[in-house]
Amino acid sequence: MNKRKLIKPLSYSVLIVALLLVPLLITQPYVLHILIMMAVNIGLASSLRFIATSGQFSLGHAGMVSIGAYTSALLVMKLGLSFWLAFPLSGLTAMCIAFLVGYPFVRLKGIYFTMVTLFFTEVIKLTAEQWRSLTGGVAGIIAIPRPNAIIIPGLLNANFASKADFYYLALMMVVFTLLILYAIESSRIGMTFLSIQQSEPLAESVGVNSSGFRVLAFSIGCFFAGLDGAFYCHYLSAIAPASFGFLLSINVFIYTVVGGMRRFSGPIMGAIILTLIPELARGVKEYEPFVFAGILLLVIFFLRGGVVSLPEKLSKIIKRRVAYA
Amino acid sequence: MIAQNLLNGLMSGWIYILVALGLTLVLSIVGIVQLAHGEIYMIGAYIVYYFCVSAGLNFFPSLLISILCVGLLGVVIERFFLRPFRDDVEGAIITTIALILILQTAMVAIAGESYKDIPSPIQGVLTVLGARLSWERLLTILVSIALVSLLLIFINKTKIGQAMVAVSEDREAAALQGINVNRVSSVAMFLGCALAAAAGGLTGAIFDVTPFIGGFALMKGIEVIILGGLGSISGAIIGGLILGLVDGLVTPLLSVQMAGIISLVVIILILLFRPQGLLGHE
Repeated sequence: MNKRKLIKPLSYSVLIVALLLVPLLITQPYVLHILIMMAVNIGLASSLRFIATSGQFSLGHAGMVSIGAYTSALLVMKLGLSFWLAFPLSGLTAMCIAFLVGYPFVRLKGIYFTMVTLFFTEVIKLTAEQWRSLTGGVAGIIAIPRPNAIIIPGLLNANFASKADFYYLALMMVVFTLLILYAIESSRIGMTFLSIQQSEPLAESVGVNSSGFRVLAFSIGCFFAGLDGAFYCHYLSAIAPASFGFLLSINVFIYTVVGGMRRFSGPIMGAIILTLIPELARGVKEYEPFVFAGILLLVIFFLRGGVVSLPEKLSKIIKRRVAYA
Repeated sequence: MIAQNLLNGLMSGWIYILVALGLTLVLSIVGIVQLAHGEIYMIGAYIVYYFCVSAGLNFFPSLLISILCVGLLGVVIERFFLRPFRDDVEGAIITTIALILILQTAMVAIAGESYKDIPSPIQGVLTVLGARLSWERLLTILVSIALVSLLLIFINKTKIGQAMVAVSEDREAAALQGINVNRVSSVAMFLGCALAAAAGGLTGAIFDVTPFIGGFALMKGIEVIILGGLGSISGAIIGGLILGLVDGLVTPLLSVQMAGIISLVVIILILLFRPQGLLGHE
């Protein structure tokens, strides 16, 4: 029993150490770039699933990423704040805005909630295009500075000139995101979210403040979307409203569903697979959406639990075979 | 100047209504928010373009062919992609997103990304009290009104139209009365896609056609049906006119973006105080 308890933390530590060693073994910037984008996508998909655990599908994630990205870029460029201050602040800004709009939004249920979050994304995009003096309009903001260097003599020299430094930052961000989300999900609050997902009237009848908890889930999920946005803008050093439209929200939703909504590991697997596939299919770049669509249809027709339910499904089939034999 | 903006607003409004009525028909009868509706609209525009330019046909025969072809495409889509996901929100969102990707990429492969222009069916302007109104836009409004009237007559006067109303109210009760729900769904999808194709063809004669025009149409269609109330035909007409007029009157005064922001904020506010939309019911 004790041995089994040890295996899980041990395997996770091995995984973390392996991930920390990656930039020492792989130096091609291209590979590191894919790993960094994977981390961003994992953060986005996991936080979207987190909101969904309380029974609401949000298409507002792109808007929140946009808010995080613009907040961080403007704080650093206009107010001269350090990135290390602007980074958490942009997450908090997204969270505050999510809290403010969330209160009225959660009065709507089902498809109405989804649609109003979609409109939110569109309003943020249009506002960024319109408010030229602040956001640079359609052209966006360019030459966003790199994160301030952290130098501890003899120990650490991170000046963010190389992809490897960004890789470590992305890794830290995604580990932080997953740890917090996992902790909340397995706490009493997470159980409450689940009860609202399964039956909102029943949860209310035993005294759960369902709209309060739905706002909480929405705000926490959006905090991480804001963080990802801030990271993204300093990593790419340029942002434009067009990158944060309807399509980004849809993509994050696809990652979550292809991986599997029901498990914590679902969006992680989904983001990994769907970030890799376009890169593998680079030879047929213009037909890449076909590949995406094909995967979506396969999942929805044959594998409703997502990719993470594959082992379970296979073992069931094998067991059935054995039983017949 | 005001009269021209008003006319532009009304024209956009009637185009939004055609798109929204298709969406709302499919939603209330098949039970799915058809996110690929914008791509249907886009394909409608392309078919008109090809028949007009490559086959050298007149605008109206081309529009009619497009409406029929796209309607049939809709029936096929409903049978194989939508029917398995009735009342399954997650599944329906995923399949329709897959359809967006497939249809859009296919169109890019066939037609390329360049701008196409459908030759205008009618030229010239009508001068009323000093206001110069283009015949092209007046014609678009008239054709749209005619199509919506035909739809209303079909729904209210024919047996299958009444069956559609019954299915939209209660699918199981309708099935128990001997209504063939699958056939009614096919008809609804045919009509919905036909309306979208008409909207696409009519807009294509005024603006440019690219494989990416569907997103805007879908967004406007969703805005209209949410504003008017899901499943309500009169709601969609009122909602479409409101949004069209906001777009037509605000755009020249401020900007396209401001027009979008104003209409979305209004819709969000209406939803908060009246979640079922202007004319919808619980």
